[in-house]
Amino acid sequence: MVGMMIDGAGEEADELVTPGEFLGEATQLVAGKGAYVSGRSILASLTGRRTITPPTPGSSDNRSTIEVVGHKAHGAVPQPGSIVIARVTKVMARNASVDIMCVDSKAVKEKFSGIIRQQDVRATEIDKVDMYQSFRPGDIVRALVLSLGDARAYYLSTAKNELGVVSAQSISGGTMVPISWTEMQCPLTGQIEQRKVAKVD
Amino acid sequence: MDVDTTSTTTTSLVDRIVVPGDVVLDLTKMENQTVRLGAGLRQDCDSISVMQAGKLRLSKPNKYWVESSQKRYIPSLEDAVLGIVVDSRSDNFLVDIKAPNLAFLPVLAFEGGTRRNIPKFETGTLIYARVVKANSIMNPELSCTDASGKAAEFGQLKNGYMFETSTGLARTLLSSPTCPVLEALGKKISFETAIGLNGRVWVNGSSPDDVILVSNAIMRSEFLSGTQQRTMVEKLMERLRGN
Repeated sequence: MVGMMIDGAGEEADELVTPGEFLGEATQLVAGKGAYVSGRSILASLTGRRTITPPTPGSSDNRSTIEVVGHKAHGAVPQPGSIVIARVTKVMARNASVDIMCVDSKAVKEKFSGIIRQQDVRATEIDKVDMYQSFRPGDIVRALVLSLGDARAYYLSTAKNELGVVSAQSISGGTMVPISWTEMQCPLTGQIEQRKVAKVD
Repeated sequence: MDVDTTSTTTTSLVDRIVVPGDVVLDLTKMENQTVRLGAGLRQDCDSISVMQAGKLRLSKPNKYWVESSQKRYIPSLEDAVLGIVVDSRSDNFLVDIKAPNLAFLPVLAFEGGTRRNIPKFETGTLIYARVVKANSIMNPELSCTDASGKAAEFGQLKNGYMFETSTGLARTLLSSPTCPVLEALGKKISFETAIGLNGRVWVNGSSPDDVILVSNAIMRSEFLSGTQQRTMVEKLMERLRGN
């Protein structure tokens, strides 16, 4: 491991560091994004350029913050409270699995899985929700991230008027038109299918 | 093979064999009428076309459907089926009902079912159950109670013999008035059967001879007419009693 000793502010701000590389002492610097504290040292957790931010005036701590700015631009990562666009992959009795494609109108660079549970599909009568009448595989939905969930998937919710199915194809293959908050109609055959439809302005 | 051109004339296709793509009704020529579509038919804007090969049937005044017979079963709501337990999970049994997906039978879906008296079904147990949830994307769900919660003969089938048939034969056996082969057998032999619309039949009788005779008679009756079925049953019984 190559150790580089720095003593606070005043060093070059564009040096490339790799994960595990020693950045400074925890007594002299605060670990920001891309850096972490291990014992009494601050080590890098990303590959990127090291930057040092002077302390905010008026704060009790007069240590600078050291951060590692990612070398590559990272794609968006879902955070609790962000609105995501996802495609439904599997519908089961108590939940639906989705693949998250966009976070807050920015496309993701790697695949994230999400789950919409039966109780999070809508706000009213949540124990009478029929997943088959809410989503089908292949639908595009707009959902809200509730939490980071478990190791497998984020927990999402469509329990608002503006959340739900945004675009869906009918059994005949035509892109359906929403006609109410529970129904969409196929323009090719006239058949009506049930979905939890998002109110798009 | 001649190409069937009856769909272009005004001849009705009711009670004839139809294949996918045939247009059976033109809705522009039927004003102010309600038409009920059963299995195998689909509405395509102004025409009703066939989705599944079979015989088109009409039940006056306005119900149309296609009767077809396959070895494979597509689950549909409120069908009584015979399933074989394949696995058990904490909250339901996995049951094979000859459908594209395994069916789930909740452990509590029995009369008086609570967490304390969950039945212990081993792999291979034969179950007579009712389909309560069936759609194209999810596993079907079964129940061993009727709509009011009573057992109503659903549950495990013990002893006897189970064999597989086509779905068409299973429907014929369940039709009323009683199918000729069952009537002829019932006159001389006492036996019990459970018929699953998924193409499985279970027969139980007082002796193995009876069970074999009844099973063979049912299996052979599929393409025979009523009189042929009665003759066949008589011949089988002569052969058995004569020896």
